Amino acid sequence: MVEFKEVEGYDSLKSELKSLEKSDKPVFVLFTGSKDSSGKSWCPDCVTADPVVHASVKEKLSEGVFITCQVGPRDFWKNQSNPFRTDSKLKITAVPTLIHWGQSNRLVEEQLFKRDMVDMLFED
Amino acid sequence: MPPVLTNGEAKDALSVAAELTIVVVVSGKDRTDIDKITNIAAAVQQRAEIVSVSEGEAKRIAHVTGRSSFPLVFVKGDCIGGPEEFERLNASGTLEEWLKPHKYDLIVIGGGSGGLAAAKEAARLGKKVACLDYVQPSTQGTTWGLGGTCVNVGCIPKKLMHQTAILGHAIKDAKEYGWEIPEGEIKLSWEKMKTAVQDHIGSLNWGYRVQLREKQVTYLNAYGTFSGSHEVQAKNKKGKVETITADRFLISTGLRPRIPDLPGAKECCISSDDLFSLPYNPGKTLCIGASYVSLECAGFLKGIGLDVTVMVRSILLRGFDQDMAARIGKHMEAEGIRFLRSAIPKSFEKLAEPADGKAGRIGVTFDIVREDGTTETLVEEFETVLIAIGRDAVTDAVQLEKIGVRRAKNGKVVGRHEQSITVPYVYAIGDVLEGCPELTPVAIQAGKVLMRRLYTGNGEMTEYDQIPTTVFTPLEYGCCGLSEEAAFEYYGEENIDVFHNVFLPLEYTVAHRMDADHCYCKLICHNKDDNRVVGYHILTPNAGEVTQGFAIALKLGGRKADFDRLIGIHPTVAENFTTLTILKSEQKELQASGC
Repeated sequence: MVEFKEVEGYDSLKSELKSLEKSDKPVFVLFTGSKDSSGKSWCPDCVTADPVVHASVKEKLSEGVFITCQVGPRDFWKNQSNPFRTDSKLKITAVPTLIHWGQSNRLVEEQLFKRDMVDMLFED
Repeated sequence: MPPVLTNGEAKDALSVAAELTIVVVVSGKDRTDIDKITNIAAAVQQRAEIVSVSEGEAKRIAHVTGRSSFPLVFVKGDCIGGPEEFERLNASGTLEEWLKPHKYDLIVIGGGSGGLAAAKEAARLGKKVACLDYVQPSTQGTTWGLGGTCVNVGCIPKKLMHQTAILGHAIKDAKEYGWEIPEGEIKLSWEKMKTAVQDHIGSLNWGYRVQLREKQVTYLNAYGTFSGSHEVQAKNKKGKVETITADRFLISTGLRPRIPDLPGAKECCISSDDLFSLPYNPGKTLCIGASYVSLECAGFLKGIGLDVTVMVRSILLRGFDQDMAARIGKHMEAEGIRFLRSAIPKSFEKLAEPADGKAGRIGVTFDIVREDGTTETLVEEFETVLIAIGRDAVTDAVQLEKIGVRRAKNGKVVGRHEQSITVPYVYAIGDVLEGCPELTPVAIQAGKVLMRRLYTGNGEMTEYDQIPTTVFTPLEYGCCGLSEEAAFEYYGEENIDVFHNVFLPLEYTVAHRMDADHCYCKLICHNKDDNRVVGYHILTPNAGEVTQGFAIALKLGGRKADFDRLIGIHPTVAENFTTLTILKSEQKELQASGC
């Protein structure tokens, strides 16, 4: 069973991850550019990657927690000292980024357009 | 694709051999036994392409293939020998099997330094490649991800832990330079260091997975066993078996630590396979062995504040320059590492299991051979015992003998220019290849060069001589070329001049580091050949960085005079090689001059 969660911003991601501390299920986080009021994301790569990632989760992930984290508006993201970049456990420098929380496995940008790459992250 | 070919003289016979199925290279006008070959080819519905080469080209091809007589037959790019060998291959049925279409162009068995480099290079050249990697758990149950020994349980974690020790010393040095470090004991958290190191290794494992995927190399986390001349069974962790075939195979399975057949050894002792991911601080440690693995590990364990003993049967660093080895030993003793010399372990007893993140206790029984020849048996307790007495090829389970690949007594594959001397479509590189220096960069180079040579016919060869290397003991030892002993043996003692000196690294003066008393360097020169430098040795901080650059001088045939006319960079330790004047034979006492 895969639990799907959606969070917005650094603080809500941190509290979600904290609540999952005791769980032994694998946790994945997809960092993506936030959508505006009309539902449109400022990050074109994120829009391309989204269906690839979700198709892969559906087929390859049998057990775990999948969190989609909207990082915030474009200006916030571009700031080099935003907490997603500076947090030593995250160090997210690009969107979209897909990580297996707690492990070194991660994929960024164009890597997320390739279905077999994304599959590999979930299969490991 | 039509071959670039022969009307009499082909400059690129090897390229033709790389492209076509059966190629016969003949020297000049000699056509002896050609009929034998073309008849067999016809019988298996193949055309034997005859390529004639000049005498000079024949010499080059003989050198590249390691064969001496012509005609030379190539099957799917592999040199198989002459007409007799071709007949044998045909008679045994191997030729027929070989000529069948196979799933892959190349199967690489072993995803370490050599295997991965070769797999990626072959893929880059457009070949269909599968790479098998599987780690049989260590005696303590440790396993790891893709990347081989270097990445997981060798060079990488070793250097990071060596650096950890160096940083510990640097904190102390900083005080002497004026940093106001708060009072109190400065301790190392084994857990934090181990986690940082393992996180980095994890990112490397993942990086390799991504690279293989990007380059379309099929990765199988499965153990490969030969089940037919061109067939391998790949068994994964769950026991599932996949049968795959290929035209060509590369064995790059490397080595594993040797555990002696002594009572309690397997149960009580760890090896380098386990040390870098140990879930507890090893504590009071005994390192058994005088290899660089043992000395490097003993070095950083001491450097992070542990009580360390090294048990040595005879000499340190066998195969290395023994004067340098003795200096290393002296420095390590000055660091506070205890050496038990002429000591042989007999048995191990587990007195307490490691638990709750803490080391256990092991009773070690050992013999010491006294100077008068008598033996004394002693017992001592340690929290951890690390065995580093050597590394062996573990090729038995790969079933190489099933297809006739000859192995040496030590299990390594016997090769000629990396090609198995008995099975022409099987190659080996890296530590598992007999006679190959056990170093990551050698395996990587050999892997890439071999793939280019086989798939493009460019005649490239790996140079296995004058390979620079560094032992990362607390005071690092860099060397390239011959030891003093080897130089004396090869050239004759009277034909060798050794120039040497001691020196004080500037950074160690203010810090009052005792290590400064141990820094030393020498150049070994052949005095009948214009003092050509045949050996380079230095004991210094940052020896690896210094040695890499100077190694090119040896490769290019540098002489002592060339080192002399080179002007040094100041203040460095490397500059000492530009001002060596004292001959070791003069037996002058050496005095380090600072600056």
